[in-house]
Order: sequence, then C-alpha cells, then structure tokens
Amino acid sequence: MSIVLIGLNHKTAPIEVRERLAFTDDACAAGLRALVDGEVVREGLIVSTCNRVEVLTTAGNGREQEAAARVGSFLCESRSLPRESFTEYLYTHRDEAAVRHVFRVASSLDSMVVGEPQVLGQVRHAYTLAVDAGTAGRVLHRLVHHAFRVAKRVRTETGIASSAVSISFTAVELGRKIFGSLKGATVLVVGAGEMAELATKHLTSAGATHILVANRTERAARELAQRFGGEAVDYERLSSHLGAADIVICSTGAGEYIITPEMATRALEERRNRPAFFIDISVPRNVDPAVGELDNLFVFDVDDLEAVVASNVREREREAERAELIVESEVMQFQQVLRDLDLGPTVGALREKLHAIARDEMKRQRQRLGDLTPEQEQAVEALLLSTVNKISHPIINRLRRSYDTGEEDNVKAWRDIFQLEE
Amino acid sequence: MKPFLYAALAGYLVAAIHTILAFVNKRRAVERVSVLALAFGFATHTAAIATDWITDGHYPLFHLHETISFLAWTLVIAYGLAVYRYRAQQALGVFTLPLVTGLVLLSHVMRGTAVGAPPERVLSGDAAWLFPVHTTLLFFAYASFFVAFAASVMYLWQERELKLKTFSAIFHRLPSLTTVDDIGTTAAGAGFTLLSLGIVTGIAWSSSRTGRAWHNDPIEIFALLTWVLYLALIHYRAQWRGRKAAWLGVAGFGLVLCTFLGAILMGGYHVFG
Repeated sequence: MSIVLIGLNHKTAPIEVRERLAFTDDACAAGLRALVDGEVVREGLIVSTCNRVEVLTTAGNGREQEAAARVGSFLCESRSLPRESFTEYLYTHRDEAAVRHVFRVASSLDSMVVGEPQVLGQVRHAYTLAVDAGTAGRVLHRLVHHAFRVAKRVRTETGIASSAVSISFTAVELGRKIFGSLKGATVLVVGAGEMAELATKHLTSAGATHILVANRTERAARELAQRFGGEAVDYERLSSHLGAADIVICSTGAGEYIITPEMATRALEERRNRPAFFIDISVPRNVDPAVGELDNLFVFDVDDLEAVVASNVREREREAERAELIVESEVMQFQQVLRDLDLGPTVGALREKLHAIARDEMKRQRQRLGDLTPEQEQAVEALLLSTVNKISHPIINRLRRSYDTGEEDNVKAWRDIFQLEE
Repeated sequence: MKPFLYAALAGYLVAAIHTILAFVNKRRAVERVSVLALAFGFATHTAAIATDWITDGHYPLFHLHETISFLAWTLVIAYGLAVYRYRAQQALGVFTLPLVTGLVLLSHVMRGTAVGAPPERVLSGDAAWLFPVHTTLLFFAYASFFVAFAASVMYLWQERELKLKTFSAIFHRLPSLTTVDDIGTTAAGAGFTLLSLGIVTGIAWSSSRTGRAWHNDPIEIFALLTWVLYLALIHYRAQWRGRKAAWLGVAGFGLVLCTFLGAILMGGYHVFG
C-alpha cells in the first residue's frame, strides 16, 4: 500500500489552468466514485481551491504507477481537457513526500500567503466530501486527521499566523497596540473609498462602534455611514469632529493636506491628550507629515503600513522555518503510524496463526493430562501461549526492522513461511 | 528563618525563569508554572519574614539585609496587584521577578554581616509604634514606583517604535500603550499616596522622638524631591499624558534610587543599623 498525490498549485500552474481543472463539490463527489476502484486506486480525496487542485490517493501494493496513470486520465476525462494542456504543470509525490506535502498544505506552509487560515477549512471540506462519497479509507482517515493535528501544532507553537499581512489588518493590529482593545472606539472615515470601507469593516469587527463618515459628496458619506450604522458628518467642519475620533481613516482624492498640524493639535487638546491613530491611505497624502510629530498621535501612511506588512511577512517566513521542523518530525511519526497500519494485519495474522497451533495441540493432548484443577488448566494454557509469544517476538521485531529498511522481500518471505494471507 | 528564605529564593527563581520563557515564546503553559512558583515563593518569603520578626523581636525592617528582603516582598505584592488588575504578567514579570530574585539572593548573602546598634536603642519611646508604619508605607510606595517605572519604560519603548515605524520582536510582546499608560498612572498615584503617608508618619515619629521634624538628611531631601515630582506628575496628568509622563516616571524612580543609595552611601540621621 502506498500514498500517491498528484496535483498542481499556484506555484506550478497559471490561473487559467487551475480554474479549468477545479472541481465543484458535486463534481468532486462523482469524480471520486469514478476514480476509486478498490483495486488500483483504493482510496481518494480531492482538494480543489482557487490555488490548488490535488488528488490524494492510496494505491495497492506495487501499483503506484498504474494509480498515477489512472489519476492522470481521470483528470483528462472528468474535466474534458486534453492531457497536454495540464500535464506539464503536475507534480507527483509518493509516500513520505506525499505525506509531507499534505501536512504542509494543511499547515498553510504551501499557501500563497504563508500562514493564512482558510486552507485548513478547505482541506477539512475536501475530507468531508471524500467521507460522504465513501472513498476515504483507513489510510486517508489517519493521514488527514494527522494533518489536522500538525496544522494545530504549527498554529499554536509558531507565530506563523500571529501578525497581519494585509494593510487593513495591519491597521487593526496597530490600533490594538495603541488602544489595547478597539471596543467602543470611535472611527472617523474621511472619504468614502473602497480601501477606507475595507479598513472600517475590519475595525468594526474588531469592536469599533461609533463610525463617523465625512465626504465631499454627502450622499456617498450617508451611504457608507448607513452600512456601518454610523452617521455622516459635515465635511466642511471636519476639524470639529476630529477630537471625537480615536481612529481617523483618510482616503480622499484631495491633492492637498486636509489634516494640518493645527487641526490635530486642537483635536488633541479636546481629547485631553488621549492617544489618537491616523491612518492615511490616500495618495497623495491627506495628513500633513508634521502631524505625526505630535505626542500621543500616531500617523501611518500607505508606505508605513506596507513596510509593516513586509516585515510581518518576513516574520512569518522565519516562523515558517520552525514550522517545517515540526512538519518533518510529524512526517517521521506518521511513518510509524503507516507501518503499524501496513504491518499490523501481518503481525496480527502471525500471532493468530501461532496461537491457533498452540490451541489445537492443547486440544489434541488434553485428554492425556487427565483431571486438572482450574488453576492447573490455566497454568498449562499460560505456559503454551507465553512460549508461543516468546518465539514470535523476535520474528515480529525482525519484520518491523525489515519493513523500516524497505526490505519488502524479507517481509514477504516471512509471510510465505507462515503461509499468511495479506 | 533560613530554610524559608531558601525556599522563597527557589520559588522566585523558577517564577522568573518561566516568566522570561513565557515572554520569549508566548507560551501560556509556562506562565502557569510561573504563577504557581511565585505563589510558593511569596508564601515562604512571608513565613521567613514573620519568623524573623518573632525570633529577633523587632520589626524586620532594620538591618540592611532585612530591608532588601522586605523590599522584594513589597515588589511581589505590587506585581501581584498589577497582574490581577491588568493581566500584563509576562512583560511586567520580566522586569520585576528577576529583580525580586536578585534582592532575595542579596539579602541572603548579606545576612551574616548584620551588625550595628541594637534596635532597642532606636525603637524606644512613646511613638515607637510609628516606625513600622513609617517604613512599611514607604516600602510599598517604592514598590509602586518601581511598577510605574517598568510601565514607563514599556511605554517609551513602544512609543518610540510606533513613531519610527519599525518594530522589534519585543514590541509584539508588550501590552498596549493604553494599558501601560494606565498601569503607570495607577501605580504612580498609589505610590504618591503611600509616600505622602510615609513622610507624615516619619515626621510625627521623629518629632516625638527627638523634637525635630526635619534633619536635612539626604534621604529626607530626596524623598521630598520625589514627592514634589510625583505631585507635579499627577497634577499635570492630562497635559503630560503619554511620553512626558513616562519620562517623569523614569526620573521619579531615579530619585527613589537616590533616596535608597543616599541612605547607604551618604549616611545621616536615617542610618541606624
């Protein structure tokens, strides 16, 4: 039995190829039933997201080639695509490499934005589909559950997802750094652009409750305010609202500074020097850089936010290296799991066989022993079984060692000797 | 009692190490060990001080080693209160717990060297009961000022990085600006109140013992300066909020250190032992 993974992702294939190969949930279930035949391909699971299409299968012993070929033609047929249109983008991983790949995908180490949390949900969904289609068997069950565990470990033991890697999340994070909690914070949005809206959305979901919107055209201000349950304020009297805002988001198309140091100083006086956070996402800038020199006032423009994002990305990459170590040790552990899964039946059959021999002999010779007390009877049986176990113990050890070092012939030889069915 | 102090030292050491580990690795599990070890350390430390009091027969704030041990004890209480109120254990612990451990160790080392006047000579008279009150109040004031100092340093560090827009690894592990500002303000306020009471009881005790309220002793001068500085800090809180207040918190603690060292190095009325 071996694990075969075939697929493509955002690193190997352009979007045109990925979208043509993508599976809907229904296509996924139907495809899995067609793909898994129980002989060549024993189990199957399809992960299909905007960044990757991957088919994870287990193949019967020595039939990995066949299974891979079957998956290839399955992709052709089910997606009705000529083989040449995608084969050059495909990668194939087997056994250990396939396990590593699955762990890395689930831990978001293989994602476009390393550490993004969605991919785990997508893997979980793919697994649910496979379970519903009845194509996830004992190996895939273990593999996927192990992958979930690895993902959780990576998440809690490394800082891979701890820092924001988008501008609007960075703004939220900085806000938290300044105010502690954003619960009940007042946000003044100047300008009604898309970026401002996105940032406001993140801020409200982080707890900001009072949203004020000022815009040159009042209608747009009212619309945006309505969306967040806030209120539109007079753009011309901007400076009178500045003091009320803990966070100010500027994104207007204005060509000059609309927030001057004088306005900011007045706002701070009104706030009795409670800190304020100005986010200036407009280009050209709307907030005079001199404003940032005032105490208790923190101004971040687009470049500043992007620099923070870049440093967070680097931080994530550093954490990803630690995550790779976790994945590596878990791959090793899973090899053990697989071995037990693979060798388990052989070991069980061997024990069963030897015990059966012992029991048969006992039955044949029992009469010659005459009357025995229950204790004596138990002692005889214990003696037999422990003798058998002591004999089988080194054999089982040897089997495990052979399996670990890949000497499958040896395993097979022992099977032959004891005439064990697979 | 020696065994108690040993146990306290062990507890504090374990707590300090685990707090630093928790701070560096952001691990919650380590934090729990630190809390338990600190509780153990505090309990045994309290026992050590109490048994000292009983066996030596004087309030254990007289000789230098007692003073140091008592200071560590008040620091633990101040830290405990701050943690209970603000949940900033890791960052604050990194400041406080190593210091506590160091002080307890120092107290241990200096224990054998305790010589000097028998306390009975100083601790006599009608108003002798004011001595423990006076000293205890002041030590709690110093511990509060230390917490205010730690909060100020955390504030200044973060404020600087926010202004420069470059963030170090430490930045992400500190509590928010508002939180450290809050801790600093509360601790400074508490410290100021305790300091005021401490000074008043000191004056009362001194005038009843020697008839003089003021001795121009370095410790008195520094204490008064500290008092004036924190008074200004509290009075101008709104105007000076943030960076300026944080710098004052640092300066105030500098004066507290001067008060302490002044007593040891410059001598004067306040050195008894």
